[in-house]
Amino acid sequence: MSLVISGITAIAQPAGYAPVADLPKFKAQFAAVATKTETIKSDFVQEKNLSMLSEKIVSKGKFWFKKESMLRMEYNTPFQYLMILNKGNMYIKDGQKENKVSTTSSKLFNQINKIIIDCVQGSVFDSPDFITKAYENKNTYLIELSPASKALKEFFKTIDVIIDKSNYEASSIEMNENSGDNTIIRFTNKEINANIPDAIFIIK
Amino acid sequence: MRYLLLSSCLFLLAGCSSVYKNLQPATGDINVLQKFKPNFKSVLYKAEIDVVGHHLSGLLLIKTLPDSTIRMVFATETGFKFFDFAFSPDGGFRVLYVVRQMDKKAVIKTLGKDFELILLPPADYKSAYLRKDDSSLYYIFPRPKGTFCYITDLKSTEMKLMEISSPHKPIVRAIAKDDGNGVPDTIGISHKNFNFTIGLKKIDR
Repeated sequence: MSLVISGITAIAQPAGYAPVADLPKFKAQFAAVATKTETIKSDFVQEKNLSMLSEKIVSKGKFWFKKESMLRMEYNTPFQYLMILNKGNMYIKDGQKENKVSTTSSKLFNQINKIIIDCVQGSVFDSPDFITKAYENKNTYLIELSPASKALKEFFKTIDVIIDKSNYEASSIEMNENSGDNTIIRFTNKEINANIPDAIFIIK
Repeated sequence: MRYLLLSSCLFLLAGCSSVYKNLQPATGDINVLQKFKPNFKSVLYKAEIDVVGHHLSGLLLIKTLPDSTIRMVFATETGFKFFDFAFSPDGGFRVLYVVRQMDKKAVIKTLGKDFELILLPPADYKSAYLRKDDSSLYYIFPRPKGTFCYITDLKSTEMKLMEISSPHKPIVRAIAKDDGNGVPDTIGISHKNFNFTIGLKKIDR
């Protein structure tokens, strides 16, 4: 029986990872770093993998985060697209078109975008939207988020946040769909606690 | 409300007499039209869809698979997938995925038909026929619900317009501007009965 259970565990956990040996310590250190992180400025590369089509759509841009809950993602290659999240409100600039979305009108869309904020500001473990598990290998931790609500389950099988062991910062976020497709956002050239004015998050 | 409008639109499509009946008879090879068939090997478009005051933007990937099935995947710029459609070479249409909020029969049928229009009908379409006027040739493909019509110049060197028509009038119009390699650079689809437009602009990757 124990062999069967350990077999299931082996299948369920991400390849190359084992459950975190000292979970309370990891959570404490992760939370401590997150508490000290007021801002993040970074470049990002987003990869949308369409498994059945053997295709990937790669886009690049700039990323700004500031506590509490302010996020700006500016895609500039191969298209222009700007998304700002500011305390539950969302603004999108797509070419010449601008769109403001409130939490009330698009709760689900905001919930999905808030995932990124939860990941970078370290509040993923507290999110009621997900059941979280933590794994580790030599260089990284992997926080696996399984959607708790039916609505989110429709879109995501799991969301994996990769945390660099050297600094406890999120290095990538992988959103896995039920179909086998996924979207991976990798952060590069990160600057922690750089001075970022509130003005860049203003939704006019 | 928009679904009601879409349903009304589909209802209007039902019928088989032709808005093109007053054009002059023309002879020629209907399969000449196949040269305008777009070459969607693997093309990414910036897509904008406006439906009755709602604006939806994203990326539309159109890819031809080895079995000649054409897949269309529409996702937001941030990776959130809206739909995945498959169009088989014999004219078949399948929905492989659609987000629950868009999973309405009228919406899917309308989108499917719009995209079928720009993909062009298969060769040797049995009931297809030609008509003309002083400046254009009309390749007409009657279908159970609405007629597809492709309007070219008299020598069929240029595709001017693509239409879906009810018995009384064109209800969908589409244009595609070729990039010179058989791949549409821009595509515009516009419904005449209600405010529904699709705009696609090719993204160089």
